[in-house]
Amino acid sequence: MREARRGDREAAAALFRRHWRDAWRAAYAVTGRRALADDVAADAFERAFAALGRFDERRPFRPWLQRIVANRALDLLRAERRLSYEEPLEPADARPDHRGGDRSLLASVADLSLERRVVVVLRYGVGMTPKEIAATLDLPVGTVNSRLSRALEELRESLEVEHVE
Amino acid sequence: MSSELERRLDDLLLEAPEPETDVGERALARALRALELPVVRPRRRLRVVAALVAAALALLALAAGSLAAAGALHVSFGQVREHAGPRTLILPGGTAGIAAVVNGRLSVVTRSGFRLQGLPVSAAALSPHALYVAAGIGTSLVALKPDGRRAWSHPAGGTVVTIAWAPDGLRIAYVVRTARRLVLRTIWGNGTHDAAIDRSVRAVRPSWRADSLAFAYVAAGGRAVVYDVGHRSRSVVPNSPAGVSEVAFAPAGKRLALLDGRTIVVGKTRSRARIRLVGIGWVGGELAFVSRGGQAEPVRIPGPIVSFVASGSTFAAVVGGEEPRVVAGTTGNVATVLALPRGARVEAVAVR
Repeated sequence: MREARRGDREAAAALFRRHWRDAWRAAYAVTGRRALADDVAADAFERAFAALGRFDERRPFRPWLQRIVANRALDLLRAERRLSYEEPLEPADARPDHRGGDRSLLASVADLSLERRVVVVLRYGVGMTPKEIAATLDLPVGTVNSRLSRALEELRESLEVEHVE
Repeated sequence: MSSELERRLDDLLLEAPEPETDVGERALARALRALELPVVRPRRRLRVVAALVAAALALLALAAGSLAAAGALHVSFGQVREHAGPRTLILPGGTAGIAAVVNGRLSVVTRSGFRLQGLPVSAAALSPHALYVAAGIGTSLVALKPDGRRAWSHPAGGTVVTIAWAPDGLRIAYVVRTARRLVLRTIWGNGTHDAAIDRSVRAVRPSWRADSLAFAYVAAGGRAVVYDVGHRSRSVVPNSPAGVSEVAFAPAGKRLALLDGRTIVVGKTRSRARIRLVGIGWVGGELAFVSRGGQAEPVRIPGPIVSFVASGSTFAAVVGGEEPRVVAGTTGNVATVLALPRGARVEAVAVR
């Protein structure tokens, strides 16, 4: 980290490779689309590296980067929703093309509303606490907990229905 | 069930697909370029000096404005610096992409690289954040995703000659050449609510005000007109020359710049250039000018350059040839890119 902050390209590239896949996957989990995930993750790294000189190296890099990813994804999705009057012109990938694993969980998360989806991804995918999520999204902690609770309930019902079917 | 669900959710990201390798390589290159940008932190003394210089410049600008208003000051161009050559595309912070029409072919470049190239279009404009590009294809206005997928298509009743997407993304103003005249129309960003605004205009790209509540265009008589979207009213711009060839609202505030040959009008200020100008555009709070041949102060790239505009460290470039391509960018905020290569209009609009 120290070398990267000093402008060492090899150290910065190593930092990128260590975190790129997780950042991209978080972007994908929030946006549900490859093209948007590409833009969001690349944009997040660009912003993070541009601000690396001001980053406090005593703090962990990953949560800071993931916060940038989450905010960038929200910006893009909100702009897109606003542009298309609350109806996305292109729906999120109905069946995310994840390879391996349980298809239904990620697909169920993708079906959540944007507000619920992002708190789920930040809480479980990224590992933030509700307090950290509240700070990242500029929301009261109670709102974050409420959205998490409702999202879990919705996911549970969704998965139970699939199980019955 | 909840604890089992939460345990599975902890591994949620492991279920996501892998990013494509080439996407990662492009992202790495972009990130490393960002790393190279020096962070300038002016010291307090430097800030004081800068403030004094800025105040002096403001006074000079006021005096110059007064002189210009009186017709005693002429706009001139400084020496054109030679540039080392085409550079890798670096799109500025806050700018999501560039759309350019070169020789009737569309090039769309977004932050992650080229997305669309070679599509025959009559005009094009990017939406905010480069989420969509609106293009004139045949006799339709079409909104495309940067990856080429069509979002919507609307019959325009003629060839779309110019397009301007509002800064808030909610509306598009465009000019259509019908059998007998040029018609100014607006349409919502989702392809609905198309309406004719003025059935006799000139083929000049409308310019949206920063608040997206109004836009300027050029009426058939050559005077600049501002259309208020909320009140659905039109008003001729006071002091408008009779042969306006460009209109450009500032990216912030309500300042409107007009160009008529050598004459530039901004509010009550009227200036006259020594040479004929073919384009104006705001770069931040400054007005950039383009002369015939694409020579704009202060950057010039040798080679088959057909289009660029520059001001300070901000510019973008498009080269001609068999395949149009964008070759250079900037680390600043590109507001507008305008040029006139060998008499053929080329324009690229970068979204702030």
